[in-house]
Amino acid sequence: MRRTYLGEFEELVLLMIAILEGDAYGVTVCQEIEQQTGRIVTFGAVHNTLIRLEEKGFVTSGLGGATNERGGRRKRLFQLTTLGKTALTDIQELRNKLWKLIPDASLKLSGI
Amino acid sequence: MNTPHPPRWAKALLRWLHPDNTIEEVEGDLDELYAYAYLHAGKTQALLRYLLNVASVLPPFVRRRRTYSKYEPSFSLSPDMLKNYFKIAWRNIVRQKAYAALNIAGLSIGMACSILILLWVQNELSYDRFHSKADQIFRLTCSAGDFRAAVSAAGMAPNLQAALPQIKSGVRISKRIPMIFEAGEKKLEEKRVIYADSNFLTFFSFPLLAGNKATALHDPGTILITEEMAVKYFGTSNAVGKTIRIDNKENFTVDGVLANTPPNSHLQFDCLIPMKTLARTSTDLQNNTWNNFIFFTYLELDAQTAASAPARQNLIRQIFSIFKAHGQVIKLNFELQALTDIHLHSNYQLDVAGHGNIQYVNIFFVIAIFILVVACINFMNLATARSERRAKEVGLRKVVGANRYQLIFQFLGESLIFSFLSLVIAIGIVFAMLPIFKMLTEKSLSIHLLDGKLLLSLIGIAVLTGLLSGSYPALFLSGFAPVKVLKGKLRVAGGNLIFRNALVVTQFVVAIVLLVGTAVVYKQLDFIKKRNLGFDKSNMLYLPMNGDLWGKQQALKLSLEQNPLTANFTIISYLPTAVESGSVDVVWDGQTIANQVVFPSLDVDENFIGVFKTKVLAGRGFDKSFAGDSSSYMINEKAMQIMGMNIGNAVGKSLSLGGMKGTIIGVIKDFHFKSLQYAMEPLILRKNTWGGVVMVRTTAGRNEQTIKALEKINQELNPSFPFRFGFLDKDLDNLYRSEQQMGNIFNLFAGLAIFISCLGLYGLSAFMAEQRTKEIGVRKVLGATVAGVVGLLSQDFLKLILVAIVIASPIAWYAMNKWLQGFAYQTTLEWWVIALAAIAATGIALFTISFQSIKAALMNPVTSLRSE
Repeated sequence: MRRTYLGEFEELVLLMIAILEGDAYGVTVCQEIEQQTGRIVTFGAVHNTLIRLEEKGFVTSGLGGATNERGGRRKRLFQLTTLGKTALTDIQELRNKLWKLIPDASLKLSGI
Repeated sequence: MNTPHPPRWAKALLRWLHPDNTIEEVEGDLDELYAYAYLHAGKTQALLRYLLNVASVLPPFVRRRRTYSKYEPSFSLSPDMLKNYFKIAWRNIVRQKAYAALNIAGLSIGMACSILILLWVQNELSYDRFHSKADQIFRLTCSAGDFRAAVSAAGMAPNLQAALPQIKSGVRISKRIPMIFEAGEKKLEEKRVIYADSNFLTFFSFPLLAGNKATALHDPGTILITEEMAVKYFGTSNAVGKTIRIDNKENFTVDGVLANTPPNSHLQFDCLIPMKTLARTSTDLQNNTWNNFIFFTYLELDAQTAASAPARQNLIRQIFSIFKAHGQVIKLNFELQALTDIHLHSNYQLDVAGHGNIQYVNIFFVIAIFILVVACINFMNLATARSERRAKEVGLRKVVGANRYQLIFQFLGESLIFSFLSLVIAIGIVFAMLPIFKMLTEKSLSIHLLDGKLLLSLIGIAVLTGLLSGSYPALFLSGFAPVKVLKGKLRVAGGNLIFRNALVVTQFVVAIVLLVGTAVVYKQLDFIKKRNLGFDKSNMLYLPMNGDLWGKQQALKLSLEQNPLTANFTIISYLPTAVESGSVDVVWDGQTIANQVVFPSLDVDENFIGVFKTKVLAGRGFDKSFAGDSSSYMINEKAMQIMGMNIGNAVGKSLSLGGMKGTIIGVIKDFHFKSLQYAMEPLILRKNTWGGVVMVRTTAGRNEQTIKALEKINQELNPSFPFRFGFLDKDLDNLYRSEQQMGNIFNLFAGLAIFISCLGLYGLSAFMAEQRTKEIGVRKVLGATVAGVVGLLSQDFLKLILVAIVIASPIAWYAMNKWLQGFAYQTTLEWWVIALAAIAATGIALFTISFQSIKAALMNPVTSLRSE
């Protein structure tokens, strides 16, 4: 199977979509990133990443119904695909495995 | 609560630049983010972030979302699709015959015009390029002040070649000299005979069909003739060894047969005689003189010097110092004129006749392009005007899955079919028009379809025309949104209307400029023809003195005087269409510095003033009763001014011309003795003691009898030479032949440009009338008059034409002023010329529109309202 790579920011956005669970679209992803990490990101970065994630098949999207709150403009909502979910768990497992391999002393020393 | 709104311009920017398929979601998201930031961080922060965000989703930063469709569209250029494009295009043409005919007519006429003009331009540009050493050959010319002449002296070619290593070889050619040829039964005057140095054939690339190139032109008494001449005199092109008797006194052996001179050579000749033959009698050639400018000198430079302008400048300086070393005191400017420049860039006096003019080549090239553009505009106009009809087709095609590229290809295919059909018809028109065009331009133009280069450029023109004329309809029609089109009536967008109007305006600007051009060219020609030359040119017949007439001058004068028809005659040295001699060797009373002005001179007899009807301003003319007149001079006003004299004191002053001392006996009023392209030059008149041309003023209406009388005199006194005569006014008209030609060609193409524009206008007005059928019906029911409706329909076009007039006027004014500056004597460019052209254009346009608008206005409103 062809391995897919996730960039750091892509991973972050993918996580946010997972957290938001069905309510993920441009605005909420931006705000969530800001709240959870303190990073202020431009909307363009998020927008581009969402499109790229979709191209890579980690998320699917659909246009939501028109609401009055945004002047009748629809929003594009994003959901994780199975591939996206496995990718996230794979990453987590890999990280856990790697964390366990770190000798105790090493982390503590560098922490000083 | 009011939701805060980000600035409108930022939104507009976003909508304009952001990809279409994600604009909705992005705009919504950005609004939400703005509102959020507004609440949490304040207005300024919100605005800053908003702008940053907008910038981050504009190209080139933004990533485009690919649109997925369920079915892959077929490849736009697959053979099946290509077949389909052409099939549909063909069906469209066949279905709408009137429209297609209008389009094809416009395009093919436009193309035919451009092809004709380009043939002409190509011919003009091809002059003298067939010589293998064309880029290394230069002609030595010289100028003294404003007097620029193409001639040089006999000694220059051999001496310069010997002294300067840059000059590889040089060749001298005489002027064309008319001679009487006789072979067998045939006895005719040949006008295109030249003497040439023996290396002429190796220097230039005129092919020799028979004879030996190495020995030709070496022996005096031999002659080279062209194939045409050989056939004319001997009935065969195999004429080597045959004999031709020239001027009734000497026999020449034909030493070789030349191919006919190519029409695109500035040197035109029928016979070549070795320079050595002339050298037997010419002291110029025997002594290689440096001060008598009667030959054309061509020099072949080495490749390095030929290619570099500074090296040539240096060479010119060296030439001048050699010139000075030969004891010449006059300050001359030498020039090296490239062989390939002679035809188009020559404005020298004493040059071979029949030159082209680079200005005209440029003008016509631009006209060719303009006419093609006008034709393309026509096509675009008609296509976009019909867009409403085809909008439904486009909508439907899109709904069933056509993508934009396929539609673009479809429309381009259609216009390519149009342009290639037009090309075929245009070639037909060119073939049909070529004889007429040849007559207009007096050129041997031909179109060889099998010539690959020509074929390629024709196809190039067709493809370019097709793409250009199809581009706008293709891009415009294919852009229709299917839903809008199919939902109901598509309002023709404002942008489209502006574009179409701009096209119509452009067409008419071109047409009006060409019209003004035609008018001004004609006005100038008329001005030249009607300008008072300072003498009366009407009913002037001339008889060149040749053969035995020279020896029998007394008898000639006597027989002329005896016949009342020819009694009013004068013998002058040159025709006043081209005075060919001039001298700087002029010294006058009270002169302070050495003379640098060229004084042309003319030898006239006692009758000159009476016959030419010129005026003597001071003193007197030559008179039989004054015995000493052979050393007297008359000068014209211009010469008087240059010499610093005035009418009161000029008479009686002494003057020396070419070392001959004499006195000024009279001042003659300025008269034009050269083409009006040259400003008035000074002139010195001498008493004619040798001969030249007999000028006879006939009484109006008795030309025939006078010619017969002259012929009789010629037969009696000059039996072995054929009779030749001419009319002075015809010769004068011939001086402006190239302007006349230009006027004719201009006329033709201005007419055609207007015709093409009107074809387009006709189509447009038909479309407009059709579109407003309902409106017209309603108006008529409510009581509108026919005149009112016609006015309504013409109004829009009238406005466009007015705009075109406003734009065209200054362009035409500027261009024509520029052209007129080439003449020393110009007609004035008056506003009414432009007004006239404008009125003419408007009139023609209104006439075109009136067909359709009157038809629409006369239609029964019941029929138009009942339909649908």
